[in-house]
Amino acid sequence: MKTKNPVRRSFLLLLLGGVIGYGLGVGLDVLVTGQLDFAAPLTGMFALLGTSVAYFFGLVGYWGITRGLVWQVIGTLAGGLFVSGIRVLMGLEAFGGFFFSEPAWVFGGLVGGLSFLVGVGAVTDWYKWAKGEPTSEHHHDPEGYVKYFGVSLDHKVIGIQYTVTALLLMGIGGLFAMIFRTELAASQLQFLTTTFRAFDQNGLQFYNTLMSLHGIIMIISILLGVAGMINYLVPLLIGAQDMAFPRLNAFSFWIAVPAAVLLVSALFLGGFDTGWTGYPPLSARSPVGIQMFFLGVFLAGWSSILGGLNLLATVVRMRARGMTAFRMPIFAWAAIATSLISLTATQFIGLSFQLVMFQRLLGMGFFDPTKGGNPVLFQHMFWFYSHPAVYVFVLPGLGIISELLPVFVRKPLYGYRWVAMSSLGIALVGFLVWAHHMFASGMNEYLRVPFMYSTLLVAVPTGVKFFSWVATLWKGKITTPTPMLFVLGAILVFLVGGLTGPPHGTISVDLHLTDTYFVVGHFHDTMFGGYVFPFFAALYYWFPKATGRRMNETLGKLHFWLMTPSFFVLTFAMMRVGLLGMRRRIADYDPLLGFDLSHLIMTIAGYLIFTSVVIFVYNFFHSLKHGELAEGNLWNSRSPEWLVPSPMPVHNYDQAFEVVGEPYDYGLDGSRYVQFEDEKIKDIEG
Amino acid sequence: MAHSDKKAVLNQGVIIFVFLTVLTLLEFFIAITMASVVLLVVIALVKAGLVGYYYMHIYRLNIDDEGGHDSYPYKTGTNRLGLWLFLLSDGFVFAGLAVARFNLLGLTRPHLNQTLGLIVTAVLLISSFFMNRAETSMEHGDRKGFVLGMSITLVLGIAFLLGVVGVEWPQAIHEGITPSSGAEGAIFFMMTGMHAFHVLTGVIFLAVVLRNGMRGLYSGEKHWAVEAAAVYWHFVDVVWIFFYPALYLIGTVVT
Ligand code: HEM
Ligand SMILES: [Cu+2]
Repeated sequence: MKTKNPVRRSFLLLLLGGVIGYGLGVGLDVLVTGQLDFAAPLTGMFALLGTSVAYFFGLVGYWGITRGLVWQVIGTLAGGLFVSGIRVLMGLEAFGGFFFSEPAWVFGGLVGGLSFLVGVGAVTDWYKWAKGEPTSEHHHDPEGYVKYFGVSLDHKVIGIQYTVTALLLMGIGGLFAMIFRTELAASQLQFLTTTFRAFDQNGLQFYNTLMSLHGIIMIISILLGVAGMINYLVPLLIGAQDMAFPRLNAFSFWIAVPAAVLLVSALFLGGFDTGWTGYPPLSARSPVGIQMFFLGVFLAGWSSILGGLNLLATVVRMRARGMTAFRMPIFAWAAIATSLISLTATQFIGLSFQLVMFQRLLGMGFFDPTKGGNPVLFQHMFWFYSHPAVYVFVLPGLGIISELLPVFVRKPLYGYRWVAMSSLGIALVGFLVWAHHMFASGMNEYLRVPFMYSTLLVAVPTGVKFFSWVATLWKGKITTPTPMLFVLGAILVFLVGGLTGPPHGTISVDLHLTDTYFVVGHFHDTMFGGYVFPFFAALYYWFPKATGRRMNETLGKLHFWLMTPSFFVLTFAMMRVGLLGMRRRIADYDPLLGFDLSHLIMTIAGYLIFTSVVIFVYNFFHSLKHGELAEGNLWNSRSPEWLVPSPMPVHNYDQAFEVVGEPYDYGLDGSRYVQFEDEKIKDIEG
Repeated sequence: MAHSDKKAVLNQGVIIFVFLTVLTLLEFFIAITMASVVLLVVIALVKAGLVGYYYMHIYRLNIDDEGGHDSYPYKTGTNRLGLWLFLLSDGFVFAGLAVARFNLLGLTRPHLNQTLGLIVTAVLLISSFFMNRAETSMEHGDRKGFVLGMSITLVLGIAFLLGVVGVEWPQAIHEGITPSSGAEGAIFFMMTGMHAFHVLTGVIFLAVVLRNGMRGLYSGEKHWAVEAAAVYWHFVDVVWIFFYPALYLIGTVVT
């Protein structure tokens, strides 16, 4: 398809698709229920599908993601109808409250997700292998932006696909937060009231759904953003042509897309009110939406598992010559630690969610005390993943901090080996602390104290990183372009996050703090300091590498100076009301508690943060076309990817390089990190 | 790796098989006489170790592959690492199920037919033996031996599936152990179901590799798919080495 302006065309199609989808939904709903309801579950779902399919059709035609989405819809319908048919044969009711019955939605959702992968073409090569047909080593990606909307095997393309998807999800999750933050701005219910109705939920239920979806969508967004940084950067940093398993790499990305669709569809299927943790017994009784949530997390989990596997194989097997373990970039170490966690622990959240799914579908009583089950078992399995998962979120970000700091300080990274090892240390200790989320759960008493001590132990390797950062900054020649601002912001914010952790880890204090807004303040600080700030730093820093242009500095600084103070205000206010007894995960609070002003401030701060991200997004897309050209070693880095022109050539390095020195010896005369083939020849001749 | 004498490798396979058989019988005997949990765990670990070392040849992870990053041996080494990482990850699923089993049932077990359990266990064990023969044959370029061993493995694999899903499940349901009857039923169906799902994927994998092998796609030098199928199949067997005592042998029966 070729027209002058595909972006404008696709935007028009988006509107058209939305309207048609919405109309279809309303019509179908009237057929099924016999009543006219403008916010019925199906309307939202169809409107969403209509907009996205039409939009992508406008951009790339019936190819890649468009075909994937169409296949997902067809797969879902086929799977759902199949189960409905079986139900008819068994004499059960064929359809349920949300058109399909719950088992039909679950099966349909799963079939739909897998159909997406077939439709988009992520399994085509494997199918050929099974048939014994040869496949070519390298695919030829289409020219221009189109290649980002279909299966590509190039790790750089996949890294960007991950990153943009992460930003998109961050936008959706942020939007949800803005909605429920608005409701919280004052005590009493303002618009999410008991008479409010959308997608079969009243205002309070809708609040819970938005809050829960905000949590999980942000978490998936973080996982994708982490995968984006790892995918784009690690092969470049270690001098590999690509990841070890390029097809698996594409598969890992593309499975996250139907996962995101499933997650969002939970909003329309009655939602769910458990928060992102999905504890039974509440999750055993939530509307069908919770099943879509479980399925979405399950698929996204596979993305994370397979991504981790790929990264480990890549770093172990594909490093450049001379890159011994202790000459690897810190980011590679961080990626290893992260991947060890996502490879193994993720199975536990997948399993715990599966068990609840089966409990709901077949009455299997894993977590049902009346059948000899144990709800606390769920919490153990859930946190066995979800605590280590918080290190999946932050370790890569902390790696970015250590990676960029020496560049902007022009000094060697202090204590390289200790920093490298501290990532592994955090990951390993992180496996032994999960029950600190359960001090108030009624688990066995004797578990509390050991988990308190193991929790406090995490502070040691984390402290190592802080010492290194401070010592690296000490007496450096500090410059502060936008990436460095975000690095410094990350250190400060993560400091607050880290300091509010140990109080939670101490049983006597946590019994007061647990389930209050103090927890909310704590983890927003850790996640912003450990992920969001470093992620933005990385985007500003490597944007020129990927595009050959740099992002606008003024807008970047505006982004930073708007976001950082607002963020501190937001989380300190959260902690304040938390200490005073404000519960988390509720839509309303008593005016007599005197929290109104604090909440109003939080809401305003939230809007400001959202605005700053909008500025970032504008800057991002504007700079793609109009940014200042930056084809050389913009930041004066020693890292190999900056020693070749930007944007990065398709097959990375035309000549192999050899590592001949330490990675972070900034400012040391005559020190050298890598040597390219032709430099070596020059050296010999000269 | 394939330089050793074919006969010696096949003989080694037989010896390991004899060990595994004796240990399995010993296990059964211990369970019906003294029911020592410690001994049962030790035996399971020994069995898993034998399969892991001799049938799955985990030590191959340590081979220093000659050749550049683009050579077949080097790529096979990378694939091997990837496969083992996958098994590690998958192992966590089964470990999670085992955790659930001991958390909910402790040292009791569901009332199941122990003879039937022993039979399906034996079927899977024998299939592993033939899988090993098939792989060894291919390593030495013996396509006939490969097809024979592979076919027997495939048949035994299907027999195991039928045994568990077609005989064991209906019997349990008949005895009143259903998915929704209580924690024992839930655990039993979830553990056997998850394992059977893996056997099913293994059977499909074996069938694909067998077909491609018959069409001559593999050789003594290039047969990564055969090795992968073998390692995966043995892994599924190793899981059962733990699940079998956990479901059929350890603890006292709840009624
Ligand atoms: C010094 C390090 C840390 C310690 C000692 C610590 C301790 C704790 C404890 C004890 C809780 C449970 C509070 C409760 O529910 O009562 C908690 C919650 C939480 N922490 Fe941390 N933490 C640390 C670092 C981090 C990091 C690096 C992250 C990364 C993002 C993080 C993310 C979270 C999240 C998401 C929760 C809330 C989970 C939920 O209930 O939804 N923490 N932390
Ligand atoms: Cu934790």
